[in-house]
Amino acid sequence: MSRPLDLLREVLDHEVVDVDGVSCGVVDDLEIAWTEGGPAVVALLLGPGAWSRRLPHAVQGLARRVFGHAIVRIPWREVAKVSETVALRSRADAWGAGALDRRLSTWIARLPKS
Amino acid sequence: MGQAAEVFLGILTAMGGFVEIGELVFTLTAGTRFGYQLLWVCVLGTVGIMAYCEMAGRVAAVRGRPVFSLVRERAGFAAGGVTLVASLVVSLLTCAAEIGGIALLWQLVSDGPYRFFVLLAFVAFAVIVWVLPFQWIERVYGLGGLMMIVFAVTLIKIGPDWGEVAQGLVPRAAPSSGSARDTLLYAYVAVALMSSIMLPYETYFYASGGIEDDWKPKDVTLNRVVVLVGFALGALLAMALIGLGADFFAPHRIDPQAPATAALAASDALGRAGLALALGGMFFAFGGAAIETCLSGAYNLAQFAGWPWGKHLPQRATPRFTLAWIVLLLLAALLVVTGIDPVQVVEYSIVASVVVLPLSYFPLLMVAKDRRIMGRHANGWLSNALGWFYLVLVTLAALAALPLFFLTHQGQG
Repeated sequence: MSRPLDLLREVLDHEVVDVDGVSCGVVDDLEIAWTEGGPAVVALLLGPGAWSRRLPHAVQGLARRVFGHAIVRIPWREVAKVSETVALRSRADAWGAGALDRRLSTWIARLPKS
Repeated sequence: MGQAAEVFLGILTAMGGFVEIGELVFTLTAGTRFGYQLLWVCVLGTVGIMAYCEMAGRVAAVRGRPVFSLVRERAGFAAGGVTLVASLVVSLLTCAAEIGGIALLWQLVSDGPYRFFVLLAFVAFAVIVWVLPFQWIERVYGLGGLMMIVFAVTLIKIGPDWGEVAQGLVPRAAPSSGSARDTLLYAYVAVALMSSIMLPYETYFYASGGIEDDWKPKDVTLNRVVVLVGFALGALLAMALIGLGADFFAPHRIDPQAPATAALAASDALGRAGLALALGGMFFAFGGAAIETCLSGAYNLAQFAGWPWGKHLPQRATPRFTLAWIVLLLLAALLVVTGIDPVQVVEYSIVASVVVLPLSYFPLLMVAKDRRIMGRHANGWLSNALGWFYLVLVTLAALAALPLFFLTHQGQG
């Protein structure tokens, strides 16, 4: 990418869309690690385990008890493009995102006109 | 469909969908208590909702981003989350009020048990939203709501004092009768009336609807015309209701607390046909708003959390969104089944709404005016000026709303 990327304004809290155009969550957190070239973003983190850490301390425990602490980790190399959304080059289920949607979807698909 | 037909239908739909139970209650209250003196608030609120819906529609058309994605992107998780929770509460309360209003209308025409009609409304709306495509829902309820034009016809038949109408368009800070209690009540009704016209769900629903209808940058003009003309015509209906308060209910010494009372005026002036049109118009207006509020709650949640959403997709492709609107509709119905007075719920929802407005409008304004995001479709000077003006205005209204609500004993004076 030629121009600098503003991680806070252009990536964090933006919708993640997989290769089929299906929304699979929002970038709740970023994983940053030391590499040979210095600190680098290595993964997108999605899910209650990631966003609950951003809440005020007093409500973090409650949020985890209600929503659990699952985290979906998507390696940064899977990111194809950053624009309005963060587009992946693979399907969401490869990374475990949208698992609940798939389970619910099989239930809903049994109803008429679904 | 040709562009002209689409614009025409869009305008009619926006007009018919403009008035819902909150507006009905507060326009009638304003007219009955203060004559035409609060007419200017109608104009003020309408220009505000025009400015922000136009921005929301434009952002949706140009960038394909709905309001709550912007709220989250701009305000972050915690502040955005507070806005989300508040907006869900408001959507739930408004939806409950509309369902309660419908049950009251049904009860009026068929004399059955109220709670049964509440549950019937829940089942009917759940089936309608499940089965009908988005455009159908939007149009059936928008066009059905047009029957409320009967209120404007009624007012013209009664023959308002046009001099007073013109005077009412001039803003004034206090009512003509000068006691302190009257002034407080005047301020409360002014804030509530403005809030009922600028209900936040309208902006959410409007922008999400644009995405449902697959708007593209070329639809920016369609968006602008529909908002300006449709809302202006809708505001005429709201103003006619103020007029009925002033020229029918006040002289007859009727306090139009129950929403269905509005039909009395139409029946008095136009007979059975007037009554039928008034009840029919209210039925579609409340029904449309009930569906729009429960859908917009689900839109907000899905956009905030990044779930697949939209009526344009099959239900099985949007499971969490689908579940969200069903649960919201159910909770709203359960709230009114407890027997709580729908008008009471209206008052709470209006006061809560005005508190949510600044939180929703700020991120929208930030995005709509940003040339890096919107390119040549970014706000011009007029949109920016109106945007800032109304942001300050709704913030002041939000700060004043709760104190006024308690000082006036929920508008009881």
